[in-house]
Amino acid sequence: FALAIKRKYHQMVAPKALQMVQESRPSWDNPMQFVLACVSYAVGLGNVWRFPYLCQMHGGGGFLIPYLIMLLVEGVPLFYMELAVGQQMRQGSIGAWTAISPYLTGVGIASVVVSLFLCVYYNVINAWAFWYLFHSFQETLPWAECPVNGNRTAFVSECEKSSPTQYFWYRETLNITSSINDTGGIQMGQALCLLLAWLVVFLCIIRGTKSTGKVVYVTSIFPYFVLIIYLIRGVTLHGAVNGLKYMFTPKLTELANPKAWVNAATQIFFSLGLGFGSLIAFASFNQPNNNFEKQAIIVSLINSGTSVFASIVTFSIYGFKATFNYEACIDRMILLLMNSFDLAEGSVTTENLSDWVTRLNATYPEQFALISPQMEFCDLESELDTAVEGTGLAFIVYSEAIKNMEVSQLWSVLYFTMLLMLGIGSMLGNVAAIITPLRDWQLLSRHLQQETLAGLVCLLCFIIGLGFTSRSGNYWFAIFNDYAVTLSLLFIVLIEILSVCYIYGLKRFEKDISVMIGHLPHWYWRVTWSIVSPLLIVGLLIFYMIDYITGGTPTYQAWDELQGRTVKKEYPPYAQAFIGILVIASMICVPLVALVTFFKRKSRRPKEGTISTIT
Amino acid sequence: MIQYLPIFKKMLQKYPGRNRERQNALVTETGDSPGMAKGMITGARGDTHDGYKVRLSIKTALGKDAYQWNEDEKFLFRATIAFAMRAYTKDESYNVSSVLICNETQRVSFWIQVKRPNTAIPVQQDLLEKAIISSRNRINSAFLLSDKTLEFVGITSTLPSPIEPSYPVWLVVFGVVIGIVTLGIIAIIVSGVLAKKRKIKEIEDGDELEKEDNIVENGIYCGVLEIKEGVNNGAFAHEDDSLTKL
Repeated sequence: FALAIKRKYHQMVAPKALQMVQESRPSWDNPMQFVLACVSYAVGLGNVWRFPYLCQMHGGGGFLIPYLIMLLVEGVPLFYMELAVGQQMRQGSIGAWTAISPYLTGVGIASVVVSLFLCVYYNVINAWAFWYLFHSFQETLPWAECPVNGNRTAFVSECEKSSPTQYFWYRETLNITSSINDTGGIQMGQALCLLLAWLVVFLCIIRGTKSTGKVVYVTSIFPYFVLIIYLIRGVTLHGAVNGLKYMFTPKLTELANPKAWVNAATQIFFSLGLGFGSLIAFASFNQPNNNFEKQAIIVSLINSGTSVFASIVTFSIYGFKATFNYEACIDRMILLLMNSFDLAEGSVTTENLSDWVTRLNATYPEQFALISPQMEFCDLESELDTAVEGTGLAFIVYSEAIKNMEVSQLWSVLYFTMLLMLGIGSMLGNVAAIITPLRDWQLLSRHLQQETLAGLVCLLCFIIGLGFTSRSGNYWFAIFNDYAVTLSLLFIVLIEILSVCYIYGLKRFEKDISVMIGHLPHWYWRVTWSIVSPLLIVGLLIFYMIDYITGGTPTYQAWDELQGRTVKKEYPPYAQAFIGILVIASMICVPLVALVTFFKRKSRRPKEGTISTIT
Repeated sequence: MIQYLPIFKKMLQKYPGRNRERQNALVTETGDSPGMAKGMITGARGDTHDGYKVRLSIKTALGKDAYQWNEDEKFLFRATIAFAMRAYTKDESYNVSSVLICNETQRVSFWIQVKRPNTAIPVQQDLLEKAIISSRNRINSAFLLSDKTLEFVGITSTLPSPIEPSYPVWLVVFGVVIGIVTLGIIAIIVSGVLAKKRKIKEIEDGDELEKEDNIVENGIYCGVLEIKEGVNNGAFAHEDDSLTKL
């Protein structure tokens, strides 16, 4: 009889047990996976290509001062706050902010929208990295030499005018048109690589934390191997010292420039990936007593340390490239003088070049005037001054340096694999920021399995991303890169910090944290959360708004194939309208949803009133 | 820098042929631009003869093993040009004496002129050019130089066409990678579906088996009890049944 009862019980309980097993929140296998996931997400391409550029623009080593100050005052506190919210609420961004206040659902939705924009264009970079990676498996790297024209008399003129690496990037990779108005067709090679990039991302997120947790071991640690190898190779390159000297001699006068501080604050902000909802999503899978305070500090420090480390590597590569170009320029000038004036070989050297120039100019002014259009002024400083950032640095400058190294195929493969790891690591966080809140939404999770939802999101982003594989795609990419997330994120994080401090209540927040980690947060965090960080963000917002308003018509760099270089062009009106829509689309979610919630609540209250009078 | 080239070309077109026989033997045009006129030698009498300027960069090419440019080398050069003419025109009467060298400089550059055999009439420019092009390799290797270090100013060498593989290599690597990724995705999806089916089956079977392994009675598992049909309880069992014998 007891057995019969037990049987009945199992029959009743089992399906619900299965459902409960399905509904209990997945979690990381160990806290290390969470830390590595955050590191993998935060350490991305920006550390490699944006920070060295900022360093160079704002006085080399001196830039570290505003950078570190902003890290302490803005970066770590905001990072800490996001992890706390995620771990406390144990839901994705939409659920978490709804739990804080129903009027704040819009903040979560805005985060999801911004993450969607980011996902769509960020994976295109991975597609390019794949393209370059696959093209590294050749005897001579395709960007090492110009292709010859039809009758083999000279190199293709576009390549001749620019350089083989630029030609490979603009013509053979992007096949770019001359302005954003000419769309051109979709480039098959790019589309295939984008498909592969999305398949790889899907593979990594298909099982949620189970798969992501394993992948982040690779995506977070491998780039460090490559960076160390590149560091050793980089500092032993001929001329690397010039670049390092250039970086480390601090020009402290730059610190007086407010732009340096603004750029430092912005860089910290975006480098840590605040406001996208990824950190909330990752933290929501934590055990409730996970000590995220320590982890927040560790991850932020690792992120900034990686930026500095990567810029050491980048500057040694810069130095190598600049020295190489400088010496090639000198050789060209020596050859020019020798050929024009029939001087003996070896008589003109690097040291006496300037003497010869003045002497020849004095003795044979007429002939010298003839060749003076061809004379270049070879200057190492000006070579080092050509600061490049973004895709230009990653795909043009670095590949130019790589083609001049020995065994360039190996270095190329290593470098682009590293770019891939960095990019995919960041993509995992970006996609998690979209999928986790959608999964938490009961409506969807009841009908769709986790794998199907992930697949649908990837498919949607892939189809939209195909637009970036068209011939003018790189111009649209630049629009997204410059405008889609910058202003919106500042706004979102401002609302986040203000709502945590003043709507949820700072005291309540601190109590929640003390329950989770066992002690109240230090007064330093209190001060930064309630006063310093919001003020900083407001300052940044004002600065950027003024910049946008006084900047005039936004312009972009278009590639002119006849001249072999980029020219500045203005965005056409429809592109400017699109920029406006991009910026507003996410920010408007906050007030819009708050209004909707307000009206919903208002319409509910009179109904309750009628019921009470009837009863 | 290279943007200056069109301007330079325009300027050169203003000064087509320069007077080459200057006292200090310095040639003014660089001759680097391919569109440059092939160069006319203005003789003392003002006649124009056809010829080519040759420029050697021995030290650049050979470094420490560079040889000295002397009369013997000049002789060899004239012989190779004569050879080139012979090979191209199949006329065996060309000889070293048909080739003239003049206007030598320290650069190691000079002008050559080829005369028809046993005459003073210079060979046509086109013929000379074609002859040199056809034997260019032989001329270069006679001096251990290359197209870049032994220049005939005005004769553009055809660039070696890059070795293009018959199939795009990148597609192969792409195919391999995308194949592996797709297989991985399919494997994970299939294993997920199978695991789910197994779990549902387990829970259904669990109703029947009652998880008997976990049901315990008096410290002994029920399953064991049913198999053994009871357990001897030492307190009640007598080893020797000596009390009653009925």
